[in-house]
Amino acid sequence: MDKIQVKICAGTACFVMGAPQIQTLEFSVPEDLVGKIEVTEVRCMNHCSQNKGYNKGPFVEVNGEVIEEATLEKVIAKIRELIAKEEEKNC
Amino acid sequence: MNDSLFIDIGSHQEHKAGESCFGDAIASEKLPEEQRIISVLSDGLGSGVKANILSSMTTRMALKFVESDLDLVRSAEVMMQALPVCQIRKISYATFSIIDAMLEGKTRIYEMDNPPCFIVREAKQYHPAHHEISSEHWKDRIINVYQFVAKEEDRIIIMSDGVTQAGLGNPKYPLGWQREGVWKFVENQVRRHPHISARDLAEAIVHEALEKEPDGKAGDDISCTVVYFRKPRKLLLLSGPPFDEEKDHEIAEMIDYYDGKTAICGGTTANIIERELCLTCEMDKTSYDPNIPMASVMPGIDLVTEGILTLTEVYRMLKEGIDEDKDNAATRLAKLLLDSDKIDFVIGTKINEAHQDPNLPMELDIRRNIVKKIFRLLQSKYLKEISVKYV
Repeated sequence: MDKIQVKICAGTACFVMGAPQIQTLEFSVPEDLVGKIEVTEVRCMNHCSQNKGYNKGPFVEVNGEVIEEATLEKVIAKIRELIAKEEEKNC
Repeated sequence: MNDSLFIDIGSHQEHKAGESCFGDAIASEKLPEEQRIISVLSDGLGSGVKANILSSMTTRMALKFVESDLDLVRSAEVMMQALPVCQIRKISYATFSIIDAMLEGKTRIYEMDNPPCFIVREAKQYHPAHHEISSEHWKDRIINVYQFVAKEEDRIIIMSDGVTQAGLGNPKYPLGWQREGVWKFVENQVRRHPHISARDLAEAIVHEALEKEPDGKAGDDISCTVVYFRKPRKLLLLSGPPFDEEKDHEIAEMIDYYDGKTAICGGTTANIIERELCLTCEMDKTSYDPNIPMASVMPGIDLVTEGILTLTEVYRMLKEGIDEDKDNAATRLAKLLLDSDKIDFVIGTKINEAHQDPNLPMELDIRRNIVKKIFRLLQSKYLKEISVKYV
């Protein structure tokens, strides 16, 4: 199974709205996700200026799917959901 | 005449253990129209607030008198008469060391009762001719005057007796660190780090002195100022996208051809440079800090950081001191600024709409405001040469 790609926006607006809490995912990966995700911080992905609204940050992309008003819990839940779907497919 | 010299000034102080303020005072001033720098270090009688008043008055008066080219003996007399008389010792007293240096190298040093300065040339002590003067009214107060032409890479080190007497009371240093001990340390530092900045050398000397003290507690105020004549270290700081997109390529070329170090502050700005110069930029995870966005690495650029939050933190540190225990994007940028002598700011004036949302925190100030605060502080407190261009 390919690793789930997690992109955390490190733009200023996302940073002040809470991106640093999500960045901790890179340094302390939950046990069940070890080896299954690849976390990268990226500069502004421009989701804020493209219809989503500036106050909807922080934005995180999980396998290309945009999570707005992201939190660490929301991101982990989305990753687990995608892994479960993938495992279902493979059964 | 060497008109390309830059005078780097750095100071460091520790106050006497148990006191809440410095009894020594240091002040420096740059007179750009005369291409001249004056730096004064004074040690007030005693310690604490009383000493601080004496030394602060002395440094301020000395700066003004030297700046006005008044007769030195007369100036010294006025300073000594103006100082308040200590109720216990019944005298008014503060020492001083004054460096008056021109950019082309012409330098004078005046000393009264501080340990003799070090003039460092090619990692050795340089002893220029000097003479003594004293006033009719204060015959016991001898002022030493040195006059010489400084060369590139010369350094002048002035200090209070807290440096040379560090270690008194410590069985390893029965007579204190002494001037010879200080020199050995300075010689070793400049041989090992030939381009050590004035700030770093002053700090190293004071820290070394403090280590000699019994229990590492300063028995007296310990102060040191270093003046370093060197070729200017240039830095170009680019922050913000240009108002007109057509200027994107112009700022990219500016950074590409710059003859010094370069820094980019701002994600959009970094995107522009990445695109225009066909470079790739990656986040530098070693700079992780939950309070400051990470720095990035871009080939050929010395530092890439986020914009407004990083600049705001840099401003705070320039005012209050650098957090030495941190290695985030803001501490790196602050150190880069302090290690530079001539800083060219190129500031894009396009407003970042994302920062104007009223739901976002107030600290997202307008870039131009925070940059203005930073460069004014760099000029007034750190005596840097600044140019600013808005695009």
